[in-house]
Formats: sequence, C-alpha cells, structure tokens
Amino acid sequence: MTTVKYDVVIVGSGASGGAVAYTLAKAGYKVAVLEKGRLLKREEFSKDELAYCRRDIVTPSLFDEYHVIEERVDGKWESTPTYDSGWSFWNGNVVGGSSNFMSGMLHRMHPDDFRLKSKYGAIEGANVVDWPISYEEMEPYYLQAEELVGISGKYQKHPAEPPRSTADFTQPPTNENAVVKLLDKSCRELDITPLVTPRAVLSRDKGHRNACYYSNFCGSYGCSSGAKGSSREALLMPALATGNLTLKSNTYVKSLHTSRKDAVDYAVVVDTISGKEEKIYAKMFVVAAQAHESARLLLNSANALHPNGLGNSSGELGKNLVFSAGGSGEGELHEDSLKEIKFEELMQTGLFVNRSILDWYFIDHWWDGKFKGGSVEFMFEHQNIISRARKNNEENGKMVWGTVLGEKLTERFTKSKKIRFEIFNDWLPNDNCFVSLDKNHKDKYGMPVGKLRLEGHPQDLKVGKYIAKKCEKVLEEMGAQNVYSSVSSAPPQNLVAGGCRFGNDPKTSVLNKYCQSHDVANLFVADASFMPTGGSVPYTWTIYANAFRVADHIKKKLKAL
Amino acid sequence: MQRRHFLILGSLLGASPYIEAKAQSAFSKKFENVKSTIAAVQEHMFPQGSKIPSAREMNTIRFLFETVEHKSYDKDIRAFVLEGAQELIDREKGKFNTMTAAEKEKALRGFEETNYGRNWLSRIMTLTMEGLFSAPVYGSNQKEAGWKALSAYGGEPKPTVRYVAL
Repeated sequence: MTTVKYDVVIVGSGASGGAVAYTLAKAGYKVAVLEKGRLLKREEFSKDELAYCRRDIVTPSLFDEYHVIEERVDGKWESTPTYDSGWSFWNGNVVGGSSNFMSGMLHRMHPDDFRLKSKYGAIEGANVVDWPISYEEMEPYYLQAEELVGISGKYQKHPAEPPRSTADFTQPPTNENAVVKLLDKSCRELDITPLVTPRAVLSRDKGHRNACYYSNFCGSYGCSSGAKGSSREALLMPALATGNLTLKSNTYVKSLHTSRKDAVDYAVVVDTISGKEEKIYAKMFVVAAQAHESARLLLNSANALHPNGLGNSSGELGKNLVFSAGGSGEGELHEDSLKEIKFEELMQTGLFVNRSILDWYFIDHWWDGKFKGGSVEFMFEHQNIISRARKNNEENGKMVWGTVLGEKLTERFTKSKKIRFEIFNDWLPNDNCFVSLDKNHKDKYGMPVGKLRLEGHPQDLKVGKYIAKKCEKVLEEMGAQNVYSSVSSAPPQNLVAGGCRFGNDPKTSVLNKYCQSHDVANLFVADASFMPTGGSVPYTWTIYANAFRVADHIKKKLKAL
Repeated sequence: MQRRHFLILGSLLGASPYIEAKAQSAFSKKFENVKSTIAAVQEHMFPQGSKIPSAREMNTIRFLFETVEHKSYDKDIRAFVLEGAQELIDREKGKFNTMTAAEKEKALRGFEETNYGRNWLSRIMTLTMEGLFSAPVYGSNQKEAGWKALSAYGGEPKPTVRYVAL
C-alpha cells in the first residue's frame, strides 16, 4: 500500500519552485522539493572564479547530462550535442537554482506586454498571442515578490514604467559607482531618461539576510551575505523553518507517472549519489525545472494514456520557447580622457551602475515607425580577472605573449574600465524555436535528452540593432572609446521561457490561466514555461510573481480537497 | 563548429589519433615526457622581467599538471595538451627546450600559423593565466602576485579549498 506523504511535490528549487514551496509550507501544507543538484549553503560560497565561472561545479558535466542544439547552417538544420560545442544550457543546478547566480537586474513587465498581439497586431512568422491574464491580476504578486525576495530600487514615473500599488520600494537602491553621474549627464544631453535599476539585492539587512557588502563579484557567484534574493535565501530557508518543507537535494526526477488520465500518482526519482530509484507520491505535482527541462520531463512522462507527453493533448508541449535577449555592447573609459568624475572614483570596485533606459520600450516615431522596442541595462564589464586577462592576449590576429603581454594587461587593467549595455527585447515565439526529445541521445540516467531547435525572428534583430545604435551614442557621449555592439540571433541560455504556454483554449495551450494542466488536474507548471511572450525586460521578477500567483491558486485547491 | 573537430582541425599529423589517457597514473607518466616542453612554452609566454609574474617563479607548470590531471577535467583537452606538446617536440626535432629565446619565438610563431598549433598554444596560455590569476589556494598566484600586478583582486570570501574538494 502506498502512502501519500506530501500534499505537494515540487520538481525544482529555483525561483518558481521556491515561491510555491514558501507559500504552501507557510500555509501549513506538507511539501517536498526535489532538486537534482546539491545544497550549497551560504557559508560554502566563495568568489572562486575557477570554480564558479570556468568549471562545472554548479552544473552537470556535459558528458553526463547535455542537450542537443539544432541550428540552421547554410539553410540546413544541424544538430550538435552540447558536450561537443561546450554551449551549456544548464544554469545553476544546486538548491536555489540559477537564482543563486543571477545579477539581479529585475523589472516588472509592462501592462502592454500582457496584450502584445492586441496592442501591436500579428507579426508574420511569429506566434504572438495575448496572455490570458492582465497586469492588474499580476500586480499584487509583483509586490509580494518585491517584498519577500527583497528587491531594492527607486520608483520614477516614466511612460514605460508599470503602475505600482505602493509608492516606492521598501529597500532603497544599492550603492552606486560615481560613473552614474557621467552616465546620467550623458543621457540628459541626448534627451534620454535614465532610471534606477531595481535589483534583487538587499541594500539593508532583512531578517536572516545581511545587506550587500559590495564584493565586486555578484553575477555568476553565490552571495555570501544573503543579500541576493535567491530562492534559497529568500524563500526556501524560511519555508524550511516552518517544518513543513522536505528538501530532497541530489534527487533527479525521471518521469511523472499517471495510472489514470487526469492525475499524476507519483514521481519516479533517482538518488544521484546512491543511484537508488524510488516513487514519491503526492496529492499535487508542480513542475519548476526551468522551461526547457520542464517540457522535457513532461515529454519523458509519456505513456499509453498520454502518448505525446503528459498534458500534451494540444500538441503545444515544448513549442514556442522564448529567451530574454536583445544584444549588447561596450566601450572603454580611459584615465586620460575621463570626464565629470575622477579616475579613482571610476575604479572603485564593488559598487553598482544601477541604470536602465526604458525610453525605447515602445517606438512610435515619425520616421522609424511604430513597433515594440525594448529595455537597456548598463553595467561594468564583469570583473572576473582570468576572463578579462584572457580577452586581451590577441592583437592583429596574433597571440600576444612575453613582456608585451605584461605591458598590455597592466595597461588594460589599471588605465581604463569597460562599461557595457545589455538590450532586452521580445524574443518572438516562432515555429523554429522549441524543445523536443532527442531520439538518439540519453543522459547518464538513461532518459532522452532535450533537443532544442533555436532560431530567432528577423524582427528581434531589427529591434536589437535599432536600440544598440542609440546605446552606442550614449557611450560615445560619455567619452568612451572603442565603442561597439553585437546583436545576434543566438539566444542567451540563462533565461529560457515558454514550452508550456498558458491560455484559455485547451486546443492551443498546455496550461490554463493558473498554470494548471488542461489535461491533468493535479499537475501545475510554475516556472517560466507558461509565458507565451517574454516582454522586453529580464523576466525573473515575473517568474517569481507568477509562481506566487500559482501557489495561491494551489492553496485554494488544497483547501477544497 | 564541434569542439573535437575544432581541436584536431589542421593537425600537422593529419588524422593523428587521440592519446588515450584512461587513468590518471597513465596521464602522469605521459606528462613527464612533455613536461619540460610545456614549461618552456609557459616561460616563453610569461618570462621573467615582465610586468606580470613569470611562469617559472609562480610554478605554473604544477598548476597546469594538477588541473589537467584531475578526473573532473575534460578528457579530450587533457589528451590534447599532451598531443600538442609532442607535436611541438617533433616539429622542432626535439630541440625546442634548448633553443634561444629568439629561436623559440620563431618556432612558436611558426606553430601558431597552423590551426592546430594556435589552438594548443591558446590552451596553454589559458591554463597558465588560470594559474597566475586564480585564487592563491590553487598555488600559482603566490602571495597574490598575479592580482597585485594587475591591481585587480579576487572578491571576499576567497576560497579556502580548491574546487575539486567542493
């Protein structure tokens, strides 16, 4: 006889898994979080560039677990396993997931991002649809995420800034490098409005978490003060304190089992240390494994009742992957030509740039036309020392070594600093961007790996290039040298969404408006899989907010049982 | 381009086979045969008298060996490090280590002209820079000399154990 030990089993412990676990554990329900990776505690993190940025310490070895990437080359689709290319699509497989390693630049999506098709119309070759919910329905959860995760910032009224139900952030912005004086002035000269970037980093102590200590190594690293609003620090630790959460790390989920059509009975899991397999029963199951892996798990859960994958009566499972992308660029601020601020101020380490531009979120220009644009974040070049040194050992196509290399590196590190911008515009969903199961490749647990066909829409490149040109002008106004930008259709792998889009019609969507499977009543997908479109911002805040919304609904369902 | 193809493309030996390094002990033995050549290349790239610490002074050959030898390191690159060194030895008829600095420069620039040689030299440079500029716990950024030279310091907390022990 089987025992249902848990009310809810959650697959994945990242931003969305943490938000659901927090809500339900606080409400008194028995919850198990299944995480493939191990638990790294706050005190175990260090600023070890080799470990966290150059080796597979927090992600699986690509020889054990990988994806197959399908790209169009010279008009033909070519497949490459990531163990061959090194292009990893893992993003932090430890307790707390990739939220441990985020830079934390967050924005709410704009109300028009929820009704992109209605507002801007259909785009040929893009599968754009409106969301089945409005910004107003999401707003309370944006606020909940802001307060629980600890997002610091300063509200400034702006046409592209979404409305808020509170006047301002409870956490003021993190401390800023003096370069913002130069950046702000340069923007104003160009009639551009710079805004303070909301950041999932505490500027003040909050409960068991200490304020940021400005380590200079934030993105890509775990936080040693608890300031970063990772799922582990902000949500799982308080959830564990309730006594209602069982955190099962080193637990790989192979599939979800259904013995009848409308309900999951148990998860089939493997202990990654011992290799022992077991079944974990619950009343409800929440998948939150990151978009491409969530779709893979449901596809790998196919059986006679669900021949095309669990909850895939629509045939939409895995389709319409989207990314948080747009392009980037940079320029060099040199000691001998620096304006407005002292070079010593520029070189002060650890402080944030904290500036965004939303002026081009919606383009409506007499010459350029009317179309959806994007947002821009400014930051210093990542301060990793090895990677910065490594980028400066070539000249005119030849490697530089010897005393010349010594001169070049010391000049580069001590006489200038690079400032960057990153653009985020909609990655338009299209028929050539999806995840399926690879027929030939299996991971070390014997499960078929995800095969990701990746292709952007031409409009994405057009928008990215349009904004990049404007950002280059900002850097030039700042006096930066060697300014350039790069806009490409290759997606960044750190923020994946879509694959289980939500909607009101079971024929065209995998999930309903509460991210509950249309087909399987006790199955929810809480991560970014639900997103039919990704907005023109890094959407981690939306992932947190939506997971709180989904958790509220699950709570009501559990109460009604 | 696929990584394995990238590594072997342009090999001077054409279809030269991968060296199988099935066990760490086997690797250690093979490494001994090419150790002095790799060290000589590192010392040419990072010589004494430069504004950054020298490979010899910082014992970067030890870092390279410990890194590449460990089971967590990519087995193809491990084999590539050995194979490339042997190619350089063969190409220079076993005389590379005893060459003058000018002769080494000519030999390495010639090696760099080939895709294979360039990839190998790039790998050796990466492994050397990783030693010089990683946390002191890894052994080749002694007393933070690499960081001091660049006025760029790793963040706090610094690691107290190497990643292989995490």
